[in-house]
This record gives sequence, structure tokens and C-alpha cells, in this order.
Amino acid sequence: MNQDAKKIANSLYGRVNAPAVERCRVNFCTDLEKSVLMSNFERRAWNQVGPDDEWNFYWASTQTCRNLFSVESGYRMNDNQIINHFPNHYELSRKDLLVKNIKRYRKELEREGNPLAEKAEVALHGGQVVTRYVHLDFVPVTFVLPADYNMFVEEYRKSPQSTWIMKPCGKSQGTGIFLINKLSKLKKWSREAKTPFHPQLTKESYVISRYIDNPLLIGGKKFDLRLYVLVTSFRPLKAYLFQLGFCRFCTVKYDTSVTELDNMYVHLTNVSVQKHGGDYNNIHGGKMTVQNLRLYLEGTQGRAVTEKLFAAMQWLIVHSLKAVSSVMANDRHCFECYGYDIIIDNQLKPWLVEVNASPSLTSTTVNDRILKYKLIDNMLSVVLPPDGVPDVRWNKIPNAEAMGNFDLLIDEELIEKEEPSGHSRVLKTKYK
Amino acid sequence: MEGIHEEVIKPTALKIAAEIKTLTSYKTMYGDLQKIASSPSVKKDEFKQTLHQAMKDHGLETKFRNSVYHLIRTHNKQSKDPVALLNKASNQWEKRIHKSLNSMCTDLETSLAKTRPQSEQEELLEKWNELSTYNLDLSKYRPVYAPKDFLEVLLTLSGYAPYTREDEPKWEFAHLPLQVKTLDQLRKVFPEWSNGEPLLGVNPNMPSSVPGFATLEAERISLGERVAVLGYAPVVQEYLKKGSPQCLRAKLWSQVLGSEIKPAETEYFSQLKKDVLEIDLMIDKLIFKDVQLTASNDDQYFVFEDLLYQVMLCFSRDSQVMEILKNSIGNPPTVTIKGKQTSAESITVFPPSGIIPFHGFSMYATPFCYLYDDPAQLYYTFRSFYIRYWHRLHYISTHSQGIVSLCLLYERLLEANEPLLWIHFRNININPIRVVFKWLMRAFSGHLPPDQLLLLWDAILGYDCLEILPLLALAILSFRKENIFQVNTIQNVDAVLADLSTISVIPLLQLALMKS
Repeated sequence: MNQDAKKIANSLYGRVNAPAVERCRVNFCTDLEKSVLMSNFERRAWNQVGPDDEWNFYWASTQTCRNLFSVESGYRMNDNQIINHFPNHYELSRKDLLVKNIKRYRKELEREGNPLAEKAEVALHGGQVVTRYVHLDFVPVTFVLPADYNMFVEEYRKSPQSTWIMKPCGKSQGTGIFLINKLSKLKKWSREAKTPFHPQLTKESYVISRYIDNPLLIGGKKFDLRLYVLVTSFRPLKAYLFQLGFCRFCTVKYDTSVTELDNMYVHLTNVSVQKHGGDYNNIHGGKMTVQNLRLYLEGTQGRAVTEKLFAAMQWLIVHSLKAVSSVMANDRHCFECYGYDIIIDNQLKPWLVEVNASPSLTSTTVNDRILKYKLIDNMLSVVLPPDGVPDVRWNKIPNAEAMGNFDLLIDEELIEKEEPSGHSRVLKTKYK
Repeated sequence: MEGIHEEVIKPTALKIAAEIKTLTSYKTMYGDLQKIASSPSVKKDEFKQTLHQAMKDHGLETKFRNSVYHLIRTHNKQSKDPVALLNKASNQWEKRIHKSLNSMCTDLETSLAKTRPQSEQEELLEKWNELSTYNLDLSKYRPVYAPKDFLEVLLTLSGYAPYTREDEPKWEFAHLPLQVKTLDQLRKVFPEWSNGEPLLGVNPNMPSSVPGFATLEAERISLGERVAVLGYAPVVQEYLKKGSPQCLRAKLWSQVLGSEIKPAETEYFSQLKKDVLEIDLMIDKLIFKDVQLTASNDDQYFVFEDLLYQVMLCFSRDSQVMEILKNSIGNPPTVTIKGKQTSAESITVFPPSGIIPFHGFSMYATPFCYLYDDPAQLYYTFRSFYIRYWHRLHYISTHSQGIVSLCLLYERLLEANEPLLWIHFRNININPIRVVFKWLMRAFSGHLPPDQLLLLWDAILGYDCLEILPLLALAILSFRKENIFQVNTIQNVDAVLADLSTISVIPLLQLALMKS
């Protein structure tokens, strides 16, 4: 596959390693002057310009990006301009929309009679038997409140002892999240939310998801995974997974007792939450690399289950992207880096918690800074054609050296080329 | 011929047979054997042959063989140092440590050993699995010594030996009448490496030369699985020479060390825990402090903090450690336990293991957290490693695997193979041992990323020697020499060598061992 990619790139450009001197200077514009960004732009000797100037590369906030693409702005990008968001990224990054899109995607596959949509009965903790998708059951059961309240109550009654987690749809970094283990508590919340003292709460919709109450613990502590996924196109889907993700640990021992239900240091792994805990450590910031997680799992649990877990995480990412690919405005000027938050349960099954379209570029530790610097560096080399100048006419097939720490997750164009008939064959053999 | 052979072997065999009877595991082994002997597969008229076959079938033969292997191995350890010259230095150093402990106690108005009040026992027990939440004021506790203090002591050792060569600076280890290997001799110790045989840890996609396997890793896993099933320690050891895949390491390491746990070990481990709960030793605070200063602040190991407290506390109570190492670790003091009725039980060796931890001591145990979840299993493998190897790295001895010999080996290797670096160090007046000593003393733990460290420790077990440590130190210096030539202060040399996260241990070592 990579050989092909190289050939194509060679035939198109003729010179893979363009000497730096011949490059014309890239003008960049940024809404965010984070040091990991700026040092990368500087190293490439790019020239900073304002948003109204002739930029080639814009590191924009999601708001700026939406404005640029809105009909009113009337802005038209030329072929040498690229930007770091898709205009309707929220289809993936808003918790309610993500769930909606995944539900729709599964239904569509089911209607087509696609074997991926196979269902089977599984027994829950409490012994109740429910029907779940075999291959596409990677988000916890989720409902949007208040819209799906009745459906939620129906599901709740199936296993009344389970815990649910409430999250505001539009917020991030752990704000506004709380746990619920009684229907009465939810009713109380909805009553309070409607009082005139909290008018802002009524406007906001929430998602309520089954809480993963059996997370995998390491050293007795709960953690989640932050993986970085770069998408350069949704149709055909082209996505890359960054090898250097990390685990974020809670500072407090995991405890499912009811008394700890309100202690967010036990349940939430967000650094923004954990930072305020007394036990937060500034040297490691509660972060461990994904490579070390893999080393630990292989050492203590064996190779087969570890491989299966990592394959399942790739599977989850690919299908969450496929679920939104039909609704995404696939503008060729756009690329986007998503922060995937994944929780692994004690059966080593990964669960997608949420997707962030503007993952934090703030560095909490030295290693964090190195990681994020590399992330930006590798990202730039994947999204730019070999001569380093943004060009939307490029086929977006980076050569092997440009990939850095990124691994190809999926490139539907390459799959198409290899296997014109069965379009998902490569994926099946790779991920199943 | 056979007769003569029998004659020679018989006394040894009898001696070993007698020793096996004293082993703690003897009772269960004998019981198992009796059961097999009375099973129907053993025939009375062909007793010897059928019994042997039945033993093989039940895996008892491997057990016996491993017991003999581990017994013989312990025989090889030296009795008291043959060269008396370092004894004096070693004794003085030990006295200093004891004095420092005592004065710390006086300053802090506490005692070395006292009974733990009931309330404290209960709290400790309740928090046993999350000792990071056990509140202790440790602000006044300081590690008894750090690697650099120990190095200062080692650097005075030449004062204990008569000068042989006038032209050498005083600080060199070269004055000591110790034999160390040359690089060529080391090449013979590691023939697989020096012949350029394929090793794990060079390149994850290295193809296999064995038909039917896509990669070397797949080939090694398949072979390793068979070795692990066989479970015969010498075979496992041989296998480890070329590196173990991570998924088999936990099993193989405990097999080669004989540290698999059985009910008796689990019970002993919980007895150690009980000892920790009952008696409050001042050393407990030092252990807490050490884990806090090292593992808790390390992004590779902080997750395992709570596991480490348990393991290190229990280790300090393990009198078997002292029993096994009694000729190599000096004479720990005995102290009275405050709060106990005067009797034979109110006196304890301080600490019962005889081992006083230094700053970074917990790093000897941290890498095992990537292999074992269970504290008891982690404990026994760590303990076996310590008894076999690590104690040599922080006690003064003339043993060929001891820290003094390793320092001398490093010095000689550097002088002979990197003469320009050697001269550079002389010119900038830095003793080259200073920039690598902490690596050697901690066997690189905490300096290399865990995956690389585990590969290095595979080789220690496989070749059953520590000489790989100075060799790696040399290889890293040699790899970074262009940067070292650019700087002329110890701070800057340290800065060049501070980050080992990009070092690939196996290729670097193999490169050093292969003839150019």
C-alpha cells in the first residue's frame, strides 16, 4: 500500500525530498499562539500573517472556521489554502450528535443487511438479557435529555442498579458532569433545572450514558486514554492514528461505593479536573504513555488480549469516522485532528467516551510538550504535499517518511485502488 | 570410565541430596514423590525405571532438576571476601551508615524500632492497598546515602591498596589488584551477540530465518512458549540470552530465578506484612520517603506507587534475605524494640533483612511492576533478583560482579576503546566514572524506558552476569561522544547524558560487541 502511495506521489511530483531552498515561503495565520504550534511554524521558517492577509495555512478556532465557511462571510479559499477544521466537526465532537450519527450508521448497515450490523443477546451485570450489536457496540448506551427521556426510563428499568453519567452536550473538560444511580435524583435535577433560578440550564441538552462501572484499573486507579486521530478527508475517508497517545490517571483509588459517587476525583480523568486534586503531581501530571500501557498489558495479561484490545480501538475509531463521513462537509481545504477519549473496561473492551475537535495543546509536563510538539510536526508533514506548500489538488497520499509517528488507519481511496469490487475487504482482514 | 565418573560424582550427589532435605520445599516434594510411587503406573519389579517415567510424566523431574540447579548456583557464591584489603573500607562505611541512622533517630527523637500502637496498626492495615494515602510527616527524613556518597567512598578505596603505578591519578580504580575482562574477553562471554546473531529488541519487524515465521518476534514467541512449558531453569536461561518477548517474560524470569510462588510463599509474604504492621521500624519512613522521591515522581512508574510501598516494606522484614546474603552484606546492628517486654523477642536485627536502603533503592523493584500485578509474585522475583545481583551494586567487595570491579571494568574499557574520550575527560579534569555511576548502581533502572530496561535485564539473567552494565555505559558514551567533546564541565556532560529515552539498548550493545 505504501509502495503504491510512494509511486503515485513520485509520479505527481517527481521529487519526494524537495530541497528546502526551492520552497516558496508559506504564510500562516493562527488564532492560538501556543508554543508547540509557534515553534513548529518557526522551525519551518513560515511567515506569520493576519486573518485578512493572504494566508496558506490557518490554525483556526472552530468558531473562526465556521465563520469562514458560512454563507454570509462569502470567503472563497484558493487552491493553496488549508485550514485545521471541518466546518461541521460538531457532528463528531458534540456528544449528542455523535451518538445520533452512530445510531443512524448502525441502522443503515442493518437495513442493507451488512454483516457488520449483526446483533446478539448479551447478559448485563444484573443478569438481564439485552440485544446489542456484536461489532458496533462501542459507545455506552446513551440518550439525549430531555428529548429521549421516555426511552431512557425504559432502558433504566432494565437494570435499575446501574449508574448513569450526565454530561452537558456542549461543554468539555469535565464541567457540568455528574453521576446518577437513582431515577429520583434525575427527577430532582430536572425540577431544579426548570426553576427560574437556573434559566440557563433549561436551554441546554444533556446526554445520559450508562456509566462504565467496571473500568480497567492499574495500580488500583482508573484511567482513560487520549488518542490523536488525524483526518485529511471524509469522502474518501483518510485517517491516521498517532502512536504516542497517553493514559490519564485519577489521583484517587477507584471506589464504586455510593458515598464516593459525588467525588469527581475518583471518576473523572480529565486533567482539568484532576489538577485541582491535592495529589496532582506536576512532574508526570498523572499521564502514562500508551506504549507503556501496552508493555504493562502484554507483561501481565499476555499478548493475544493486548493485540485484540488495540485492534478494537482502531476499529472503534474507524467506524466512528465512517458514521459521520456521509454528513460531514467534506471540503478539500480542511483537515482536522481529533482527540479521542476512550475508556477500557476490565474485560479489556474499549468504549468511546467522546471526541474532541480542539484537543488541548497546553503542555502540562516536559514529556507532554515533547509529545505535542511531535504531534504538530508530524501532522504538518502529513497534510502538506511533499514540497511543503499547501495545495488542495494534491492527492493526499503522504509518502512513508512523511508519516512520522502516524500510522495509516484507513484510506478508502487506496482500498478502492487495490480492490475495486469489495470495498471494505482490507479493513475486515485488518481489524477482525 | 563410567565407574570413575560415578566415584567423582558420588560425594557431590550425596551432599546435594542431604541439602535438598533441608529445603523448605522438600516436604511437599517428598509427599508428591510418595504419591507417585504408590500410583499404579509404578511397577514393583521395574521400580527404578517406572518411577522415573512417572516422575517425568508428572513434571516432578523438572522440579527436582531445578532444585539442584538453584542449589548449585548458591554454592558458587563466595564466602567472606578473599582480599582482606576492602574489608576495612567496607566496615568503616557500614559504621558510618549505622552512625548516621542513629543520629537521625536522636535528631528526630524517635527510636529505631518500637511496637506500633493498635490504632496505627489498624489504620495501616486498612490502607495497605493504598499506602500513598497513609499520612506521614516525612519532611525531616533524608535518605541515608545517595549514589554520589557511595561513589565518594569507592573513590577512596585506592588508598587502601598499595600504589603500583606512579603515573596514574589517585582516583582511578586501576590501583586495585582486581582482574577484569577486556573487550575481547567480553566478546567470548557474549558469543551470540558478538557473532551478530539476530536478537530481540533490534527491530520489531526483523524477519525470521526459520521457515514458517514472518518475524523474529513470532519465532521467539513460539520457541519461548515451548521453553516455558518445559520450565527447566538452565534452558530458560539459555533462551533469555537472545531476549524474551514481553508476553512471556514474567513467567520465564520467575522460572529461571526459581521465584514461582506456592502456598508456602504466599503465607510467608503475609507473615512479612504482619511483621510490618506490628513493629514500627524507623526504616519504614525511609522506605516511604524513597518511593515518594523516586517512583512517585516518575512518569513510567507513578501508577505503581502503592504496590511498591507494600513490596519494599515487606522486603525490609525478610530475615531470609540476610540469611542468604550473610557473607556479603556486613553485620547489621541488633536493637531493642521499644515498648516490648524484655525477652528474646524484644530484640531485632535492624532491619531484619539487613539491607539499609539508599536514595533510589526502590528502583531495583519498579521495573517488575510491568510484569506482575500480584504483590507476592512481584516480591519474590524482585527478591531473587536482589539476592542474585543487586546487592553487589551497593556493597563494597572484590567480587568480579561487585560494584568495584564493574567500575574498574568501565574505566579499562573506556581507556582501551575510546582513548580520545578518555583523554578528553582527563583534560577537563572529570573522573569519567562520575558521569555513569548512578546508571551502574541502579542497573539503569529509572534511566532507561522500561521496555529497554527489561531487555537489558534479560541479558543479565541470560548470561548471569552484570558486566553488561559497564559495557552499556561505555556504548552510550561512545554513541554520544561527539557531543561530549563539545563540553567541558560536569554539568554539561551530565546534560548530554541525561536523557536516555531514545537509546536502543540491544543494537547499541551488539554494535559494541561485534568486531568492526
